[in-house]
Amino acid sequence: MTYRTGRLVAALLASTIAGQAFAQDVTVVLSEELNTVEPCMATQSNVGRVLLQNISETLTELVPGEGLQPRLATDWEDMGNGTWRFHLREGVSFSDGTAFDAEDVKFSLERNLSDKFVCETGAKYYGGMTLTTNVVDENTIEITSDPAQPILPLLMSTLAVLPSETDPDAFTDAPVGTGPYTFDEYARGQHIKLSARDDYWGEAPEVTSATYVFRSESAVRAAMVAAGEADIAPNIALQDATDKGTDYAYPNSETVYMRLDLSAAPLNDVRVRQALNYAVDKEAFVGTILADGTLLSTGMTPPSTIGYNHDLDPYPFDPDKAKGLLEAAQSDGVDVGAEITVIGRLENFANVVETMEALTSMWQDVGFNVKLQMVEVAEWNKYYSKPFPEDIGPTMVQAMHDNANGDPVFSMFNKYASDGVQSGTADPQLDEMITKATGASGDAREALWEEVFAYVHDDLVADVFLWHMVGMSRVNERLDFTPSIRTNSELQLSQISFK
Amino acid sequence: MALAETDTPKMTKSTHPALTMGRMLWRDKFAFFSALFLILMVLCALCGPTFLEDIATKQNLRGRNAPPFDFSKAWVYWLGGDALGRPLLARIIVAAQNTLFVATGAVICSLTIGTTLGMIAGYSRKVTSQIIMRLADVIMAFPSLLLAVIVLYMLPPSVGNLIVVLTITRIPVYLRTARAEVLEVRGRMFVQAATVMGASTPRIVFRHILPVILPTLVTIATLDFALVVLVESSLSFLGIGIQPPEITWGLMVSQGRPYLTSAWWLSFWPGLVIILTTLSLNLLSNWMRTALDPVQRWRLEIARKKQ
Amino acid sequence: MQSFLGKRAVASAISLVGLIILVFFLSRLTGDPTDLYLPVDASLESRERFREINGLNDPLLIQFVHYMGDLLRFDFGDSIRRSEPALEAVLRGFGWTLQLAVITMSLVTVSAIVLGSLAAFHVGGIFDRIATFFSLIGASAPDFWVAIVAIVIFSVGLGWLPTSGTGTPWHWVLPVAVLFIRPFGLILQVVRGAMITALHAPYVKTARAKGVRNRPIIFVHALRNALLPVITVIGDQTTAILNGAVVVETIFGFPGIGKLMIDSILQRDFNVILAAIMVTAFAIFLLNLLIDILYAVLDPRIRY
Repeated sequence: MTYRTGRLVAALLASTIAGQAFAQDVTVVLSEELNTVEPCMATQSNVGRVLLQNISETLTELVPGEGLQPRLATDWEDMGNGTWRFHLREGVSFSDGTAFDAEDVKFSLERNLSDKFVCETGAKYYGGMTLTTNVVDENTIEITSDPAQPILPLLMSTLAVLPSETDPDAFTDAPVGTGPYTFDEYARGQHIKLSARDDYWGEAPEVTSATYVFRSESAVRAAMVAAGEADIAPNIALQDATDKGTDYAYPNSETVYMRLDLSAAPLNDVRVRQALNYAVDKEAFVGTILADGTLLSTGMTPPSTIGYNHDLDPYPFDPDKAKGLLEAAQSDGVDVGAEITVIGRLENFANVVETMEALTSMWQDVGFNVKLQMVEVAEWNKYYSKPFPEDIGPTMVQAMHDNANGDPVFSMFNKYASDGVQSGTADPQLDEMITKATGASGDAREALWEEVFAYVHDDLVADVFLWHMVGMSRVNERLDFTPSIRTNSELQLSQISFK
Repeated sequence: MALAETDTPKMTKSTHPALTMGRMLWRDKFAFFSALFLILMVLCALCGPTFLEDIATKQNLRGRNAPPFDFSKAWVYWLGGDALGRPLLARIIVAAQNTLFVATGAVICSLTIGTTLGMIAGYSRKVTSQIIMRLADVIMAFPSLLLAVIVLYMLPPSVGNLIVVLTITRIPVYLRTARAEVLEVRGRMFVQAATVMGASTPRIVFRHILPVILPTLVTIATLDFALVVLVESSLSFLGIGIQPPEITWGLMVSQGRPYLTSAWWLSFWPGLVIILTTLSLNLLSNWMRTALDPVQRWRLEIARKKQ
Repeated sequence: MQSFLGKRAVASAISLVGLIILVFFLSRLTGDPTDLYLPVDASLESRERFREINGLNDPLLIQFVHYMGDLLRFDFGDSIRRSEPALEAVLRGFGWTLQLAVITMSLVTVSAIVLGSLAAFHVGGIFDRIATFFSLIGASAPDFWVAIVAIVIFSVGLGWLPTSGTGTPWHWVLPVAVLFIRPFGLILQVVRGAMITALHAPYVKTARAKGVRNRPIIFVHALRNALLPVITVIGDQTTAILNGAVVVETIFGFPGIGKLMIDSILQRDFNVILAAIMVTAFAIFLLNLLIDILYAVLDPRIRY
C-alpha cells in the first residue's frame, strides 16, 4: 500500500513538473473528429484548423485586414491571357527533408484534380475552369486558367502544397508539409499530435507542440477549457459563452439566409418576397437567440469581402407594410394563401431550431401560410441543391453560406446564376452581371460586384436576407490569442503566444 | 392459480368490487397519488391542446429563458419560459397529448406483439420457435437509429410512423422475456395437470400461463414507458423523430439540452414530468400486482383491518 | 448439446445474411452520400466523378453482388468518409464499447440482484420503498441530462474527475456511472418483481411448510427461479449498450461503436454501417446463445 501510495505521489509530482516543462504545449478541442487528415480536404473546417499553415502551407495567404500576403510564393505577376507567374520562396524544405520547388506545386495542383479520388479543394474552388502549369525553373511556376481568373493568386491561397513524393492516387494519413509543425501522431477517435520542427523557414513559433481532441457537445468543450483540460475551443454555443474573461466573439464569415425558389407561385411575385423580408424582426434575434455582434445582412458574403455593397440597407421590420404588400398581391390574383414549406437544417448552427421556429411565427403573424420542417443534413441536401425535388410546391430553404476567401466569386455563381447548383433564380440579366464581374479586376471588379449585390437585394429580392453570423471561442487565459474571421477555417499555432 | 380463481369471488362478495378496489387504493397512499397524477396527465392530454395551444406557441424573443417561480406573471409562466419566451407549463400540458399517445401506443403494441410471439415461441414446436427467436435476433441487431432513419426518411415524420419505429425496436425484450417465462412455467405442476386433463393449447396458454407471466411483462412495460419517451427524445434531437412545431416532452428535454448550464429549467421540468409519470405508472402497477394477486392481497387487507 | 450448437450456428448465420441483405438495400434507400461528402459548392461534374469512383452509379443489384463477393474474401470495403478500411474503424470502436459494456453490466448485475432481492424480501418496507423510488428515477432520467450535470458538478465544480476523453482509469468513471443508471433501475425492478413471484411460488411455500426456516436457502432457491427473466433483461440491456451508447459516447468523447454508427448513418457511409452491424450482430448472437445455454444450466427442465 505504501509503495503504491508512494508511486502515486511520484507520478503526481512528475506530471506537475512535466506540466511546467511543457507549458508550451497547447490543447485544442474541436467539435468533431477529423474524417481525414488529407491536406486537399482542408476545406472542411476542422481539417483546416489542424493542417492549414501548421502542416501544409499555401502559395499565398489571405490575412484579415491586410489582404493577400506572400507565403510560399514571394511575389506574383499577371502575364496576360489568364497566365500568372509565381516566384517561389527559396530555402524551404518539407518536414521529411526534401526541398520545396516548383515541381511540388505542379504536383499538388494536379493531384487536386485527380480522377482517382475527389478532393474538396479541387471540387469547391477549381470547378468550371481548366488549370495548366508550366514549370519555368526550380523556383518559378506559371499557372494558366481557362477562362482567365483575375483572382488566381487568391485561389492559390486554398492550395495546400505537398511534396511530389506523396501518393498521387490515394489520400495520405501522414501529411507532410512545409509548415512550422510536423504531424506526429494520429490516434483515431482520441487525438492528433503536432510538434514544432527545427528547420522551418520562418520564425520559430512559441507553441512547441499541440494536441487536438474531439468533443461534439458544446457544453463539454467549454467545460474542458474552464477545467484547464484544453486551451482553445474554437467553436462553442452562445449559451455556453458565459465567461467574459475567456470567451471571444468573432465574425465567422458565415451568412444565414432563406433560399427562395422563384419559379413557384406565390414566390414568383416580387411583392410576396418583399413581404417575407419585411415580416422578419431580424434585430430581435441579436443578443437573444444569436450572439451580440451578429450583423443584419443585405447579401451573401460577409462585409469584409471586396465589392460588398455598404450602401444597401437591410429590410426593416415592418409588419404593416408586409401585410399591405400581400394584400396588393392578392388583389392582383396572386394566391398568397398557398402553403409555403420552410425547410430548416438541424445542427446547422447553435440555436437553429429556435431561430427557425421564431421566423416561422413571424411570417405567420403577417398572414403567410408557412409550415416548418426541420430535417437532417442528408435530407436537406435534396432541397438545397439541384435538381430540386418536383411537386413540393413553394419552398424556402434555410441555409448558411461560408465565404472566408474575400471575393464574392466563390458565392455568387452557385447561389444566383441560372446554372448555379443552389440557385433559385433564373434571371438572364443577373447571369450577365455575374459573368462580367467574374472576369473583371481591380476597382472595376469591386464596382461590378456592388451592382450585383444591389440588384439581388433591391430589384430581384432573391432571398430572405438574414444575418452575418458571429462565432464564439473560448480561450484559456494563459494564452495570448484572439480569434478572427479565419478561425472558422484555420487555426495557426504560430500566431499563439503565452501571457 | 386454480386456487386464485375460486378465492377471488369469496373475498369481494360483501361489497361492490370497484368500491373494494377504491378502498384498497386509498390504503396505499403512494398508489393513490400516482393514480391521481396519471388521471391529471390524461386530462391534460385530452383537453390541453384545445385550451392552451395558442398560449403555448406565443413567442416573446425578448423575454426568453424567463426563470421559474415568478408568481407575479400569469400561472402558465410559473415554471418559466423557454428559449423563445413561450410558457413552459402550458407547453408541458399541450405536449402531454403527443407524448402519451406515442408512448402508450408503442408500449402497448410492442407488449402485445412481443408477448404473443414469445408465448408461441415458448410453447410451440422447435422450428416455429427457432424462426421467431432468430427474427428477434435480427431485430435486436438492427440498430434502432438506422431503422428510424429509414422509416422516417421515406415516410413523413408523423406520430403514427414514430409509433411503428418504436414498436419494432421494443418487441424483442417482451418476446424474449415471455418465452423465458413460458419455458419456466410450462413445466410447473398446474400446467402439466391442465395438459393431462386435456385442455386445449390456447386455453392453457391464455388461461393458465398468461396470468402468471403477465406481472413481469407489465413491470417491464411500465419501465419501458420512460425508455420510449426518452428514445423518442433522442430521435427528435437527431432530426429523425418528431420535429418542431410539434411538441412532446422528449422533444422539450432535448431542446433544452444546450441550455442545461445556463437555464436548467428548460429541460428539467419536462424531464421531471417524464420521471413522475413513469414513477406513478410503476407504483400503480406494483399496487395492482398486489391487489390482483390473491396470494399477496392480504397486505392491503391487513392495512384496512389495522385501521 | 453439440447438435444444438451446430443448429444454432446455422440459424444465426441465416439471420446474419438476412440482416446484411436488409441493411444493404434499406440503407441505400435513404439517399446518396455524394452531396454529404462534397462541399455544397462542388460542381456537378465533380459530383458525377465521385459517384463513378465509389460505384454509386451501378444498379443496386450489381453493387450488392460486388459487395457480397468482396465479403466472401473478408473484405468489408473502405469507409467513404474516413479513408480507412471499414472493418478497422469498426473493430477499434467495438473494442472500446465492449469494455464499457462489460464493466458497466458487471457492476449493474451484482448490485441490482443484491438490492432487488433485498427489496423483495420486505415488500412495502422502507428499504423497498427507497430502492424502488431511486431505481425508477434512475431508469427514467434522460442520460444526456445526467451526463452534462455530472460533468458540471464533478469535473468543473469539484475538479475531481476529467470532463471527458480517454487515457487514465479516472476517465472511465463518469461514462460508466452514467451508463449504469438506467439498466440498474430496470434490472432492480425486474429482480424485485421476479423474486416476489418466486418467493410466493408453491414450491417455496412447500419448502417453508416442510420446515425449511433457513432464509439463505429459501433465498437461493427463489433466486434461481427468478433469474430466468432477469438474465433476459440483462442480455437486452447489454445489447442496448453495445448497440447504442451513442449519447454517452458522444458527450464524453468516447471513441466507441455507437458514435461511429450514428455518424455513419447520418453520413450514409454504407460500408461502415454494414461492417458495424455485422460485428455487433455477431456479438449479440453470441450473447443470446450464452443466455440460452444459461437457461438450460439454471433450469434442468429446459432442454435443447
